[in-house]
Amino acid sequence: MQQTGGGWRRGIAGVALGVAGISATAIAAGHQPDAIAGEAGIAAGAGIDETQQGRPLPAHEFYFTRAAYSSGGGGFRRWRRQSWATDYPKSDRQFLIVAERLTGLDMFMEEHPRTLTDEDLNRFPFLYALEVGGMSMTPEEAAALREYLLRGGFLVVDDFWGTYEWEIFEYEMQKVLPEYPIVDIPLEHEIFHTFYDIDEIIQVPNVNNGRRGWATHERDGYTPFVKGIFDEEGRLMVIINWNTDLGDAWEWAEDPYYPLRYSTYAIQMGVNFIIYAMSH
Amino acid sequence: MLTSLFEFLFKYRPVVFQEGDFSLGVAGAVATGAVVASLIGLFALLTYLGVRGKTRPLDRLVLGGLRFAGLAVLAFCLLRPALVVSTVVPQQNFVGVLLDDSRSMEIQDYDDRSRGAFLQETFGTPDSPVLAALSDRFAVRYFRFSSRTERIEDFSEMSFMGSRTRLGPALERARSELASVPLSGLVLVTDGADNSGEELTDALMPLQAQGIPVYTVGVGEETFERDIQVSRADPPRTVLTGSSVVVDVVVTHTGYEGETVSLIVEDEGQIVSTEEVELPDEGQPVTVPVRFTASTPGARAYTFRIPVAVDEQVTQNNSQTALVSVEDRREKILYFEGEPRYEVGFLGRAVADDDNLQLVVLQRTAENKFLRLNVDDGEELQGGFPDTRAELYAYRSLVLGTVEASFFTGDQLQMIADFVDKRGGSLLALGGRNSFARGGYAGTPVADVLPVVFSDADARPDGYYARVRIEPTQAGLGVPALQLAGTEEESGARWSELPLLLTYNPLHRVKPGATPLLRGIAEDLPEEHVALAFQRYGAGKSLSLAVQDTWIWQMQLPLEDDTHETFWRQMLRWLVDGVPDQVTGQVPRDRVEPGESVALTAIVNDSSYLGMSNSVVEATVTTPLGEEVELGMDWAVDSNAGEYEADFTPSEEGLHTLTVRAYDGDDLIGVDEAYFQVAPQRSEYFDAGARAPLLERIANETGGISYTPETVATLPEDMRVTGAGVTLVEEMDLWDMPILLLLLLVLILGEWGYRRVRGLV
Repeated sequence: MQQTGGGWRRGIAGVALGVAGISATAIAAGHQPDAIAGEAGIAAGAGIDETQQGRPLPAHEFYFTRAAYSSGGGGFRRWRRQSWATDYPKSDRQFLIVAERLTGLDMFMEEHPRTLTDEDLNRFPFLYALEVGGMSMTPEEAAALREYLLRGGFLVVDDFWGTYEWEIFEYEMQKVLPEYPIVDIPLEHEIFHTFYDIDEIIQVPNVNNGRRGWATHERDGYTPFVKGIFDEEGRLMVIINWNTDLGDAWEWAEDPYYPLRYSTYAIQMGVNFIIYAMSH
Repeated sequence: MLTSLFEFLFKYRPVVFQEGDFSLGVAGAVATGAVVASLIGLFALLTYLGVRGKTRPLDRLVLGGLRFAGLAVLAFCLLRPALVVSTVVPQQNFVGVLLDDSRSMEIQDYDDRSRGAFLQETFGTPDSPVLAALSDRFAVRYFRFSSRTERIEDFSEMSFMGSRTRLGPALERARSELASVPLSGLVLVTDGADNSGEELTDALMPLQAQGIPVYTVGVGEETFERDIQVSRADPPRTVLTGSSVVVDVVVTHTGYEGETVSLIVEDEGQIVSTEEVELPDEGQPVTVPVRFTASTPGARAYTFRIPVAVDEQVTQNNSQTALVSVEDRREKILYFEGEPRYEVGFLGRAVADDDNLQLVVLQRTAENKFLRLNVDDGEELQGGFPDTRAELYAYRSLVLGTVEASFFTGDQLQMIADFVDKRGGSLLALGGRNSFARGGYAGTPVADVLPVVFSDADARPDGYYARVRIEPTQAGLGVPALQLAGTEEESGARWSELPLLLTYNPLHRVKPGATPLLRGIAEDLPEEHVALAFQRYGAGKSLSLAVQDTWIWQMQLPLEDDTHETFWRQMLRWLVDGVPDQVTGQVPRDRVEPGESVALTAIVNDSSYLGMSNSVVEATVTTPLGEEVELGMDWAVDSNAGEYEADFTPSEEGLHTLTVRAYDGDDLIGVDEAYFQVAPQRSEYFDAGARAPLLERIANETGGISYTPETVATLPEDMRVTGAGVTLVEEMDLWDMPILLLLLLVLILGEWGYRRVRGLV
């Protein structure tokens, strides 16, 4: 894998520009999505599903799909009390605005949650799951996620901290891919260089710690890790951001008190994840 | 029968009357004849005018007429009518007898004996009446002909082992060999099944000019009663290891309507595919697509055969063998994608396991920012999309994703067109938001190359998308790249089960000469989309795949389903198939006769694929026994730029390998190998029915006569009066023709009978 074109400084400048753009545009207005449906020439039934607002889902290349997994009680309709919905939907929307500005990607600019057993889940090969320390997948969910990943789907895991949550997550992944180990991903790996060159793993604090300048860790999660699960061919199926909170950095990127360094890094990581998922 | 009756009544054969000039033997014959006729008429008239009694005027007219006619016949005889004919002088002229020595003469369709048996008994036995009569009149010289023509002393030198029938060169050889002697004509004894592909006119013109008639003797049936023939099987000359190959095998037959036979494909004797074929009505060829996988690298001889059926007359035409070079090498394909897109990742993964394909990806991930995958080194594509021909032409195929035309410079667009047109590469244009007319390609050189016609709707920005069901067209069913299963039925069923795909490009028409291979059908939209189309363009080929997300097949079908991998693997292999290298070794046929000269060719191009005529080309032919024969290859001034030739005449049977190396000074430009099998040709057994019309044409155009085994007995006599050479003028009396005597008797008896009936006796 080789990259050409803009260097990392330019990339950081671009991210910063994008982050600055968020506050000026989307957030203040609550980012009303465009009325995209109803285009001339659209075949009947072309909308593949409905958005959360109940409108036909328009055709785009990329959907930032959030995994609505079970986490002990409740369900998709009661998402506000579920761990999968942490930072939802502001984090998703803000990240999409910046990512679209930085890449030439044809993105659906709204939040897009799907349950793991959704029959259309496989139409969206990029999946984001956070707060997985509260995860408690049903056997059906685990089976669906397994099929999804082995067929070619890509899962980004984020925002869980410390040994206890790790054990829960590890236990959950044992249900999904028991034969595949979780391993460390070295910084030389392509995923750190597909768009931006990531030279170090930074611990991204939650919004409270970040704004106040307190310690960046939570519980006993002192050291950030980026781990992964690879298939037999060496394709990365799952990337695990442990002891770090990229989602908060996206969600609060427009906050003048939240350090730009963390938002920049989190967005660079997110963009790299997307480009990797789409090119590998 | 009619000829015999004619000869009985008129004393001579019709040919004598055709050739001869009529004359009367008495001096001043015409005037004398007129006077005599007048006197006879007057006498007859007077005889009956003077008669009275019971006669009516009608009686007198009839009787006078009969008597006049009778006397006129007598007068005609007294005038000594004759035919003046030029006849050849006995034993002063030569006749060339050309005997077909090819294998088809072994076919048993001459009274249940071989065609050669007719030659043996008619021209090979001293006591044959035909041969004896010919020898009485002429000095006979024998030739045997097949792929070559040779003088022979006697019939014992005939072998019936010749691999081809070449009538034209045979006639030309006999004519030139007998040019210095008085030649009465040539006798061509054959089934007429010329399979040389050569034009006969060139051989017939000198014969016409010199007035040398050709007498043809055709033997054999024009159509067989019961025969199955594998007429054609043309697999690609080269394929990559592991490629799925579909070969259209053409089968013809007579006498086996409605029967089912097995068409077997063998790779060096091992069965790799079997297809059941129901034979259609007689005379209708049936095309059978057979599928197999070319799994073993190297030069492989594939045999397509149908087991011999009951009562088949020709058993040797039930199989065809073709040489396929199965190459185990890595072909480079450049996939340029204009935006982040799942197709890149899934496509790359689909062919990642294929050791014969290197999919180099250049993906624009942001404005002026590119991601490179699978490149050989840090230099490759460092500057983005190639801006020199040499850089682009290093790839065999170009997959063009969705990228607006304005991304490219004018020269790059022209270069992409030239990549197909001049370099002979292949282009696959994928659908997308910035593809085809939507990407602004209308009017560009790339649009000229593509097989589809852009529609107005396609040019509408952001205005169109549809989910389409993909299914193969009739033509698509036979394309190897689109075979998703072992048989056509299974493959068709698999296509029908695939999830819908998205298209942004409403392409509905293909260009003239292009072939739609996949159609996209959207519910509630009346017009079908052209999902995949193909055309040859210049030296290469171009395809358009106007869909956005074939990766849906990978994600939505069960894990064990390999449709996506199969489709892309075969598609990319099809793309690189037949794309030439800078140096290419070529053999005109994959099967060569021992002793037959074969013209070996090397095509040498520079890095821009312009022919190089100043390179040094070395060719080596490796024989089956491992001997290496060095050949110098030269560029002929009258040949195309970069085309070098050398002749080689094999003597050993078996697989020969041609290796060509081309140098620019001391620098090696490239090396290539080609293969040919040296073995007796079997083309004699194909379309081996006798061709009487062709033989008639030869005889008619040269002033000769065409015969069958039944009529050949008259050949020597006919030649006596129709032959060229040293001739003398001979008068042939006509007064004693039996027809005249018969006529006279009829007239006299008629007169007598009339009198009896009328009671005038």
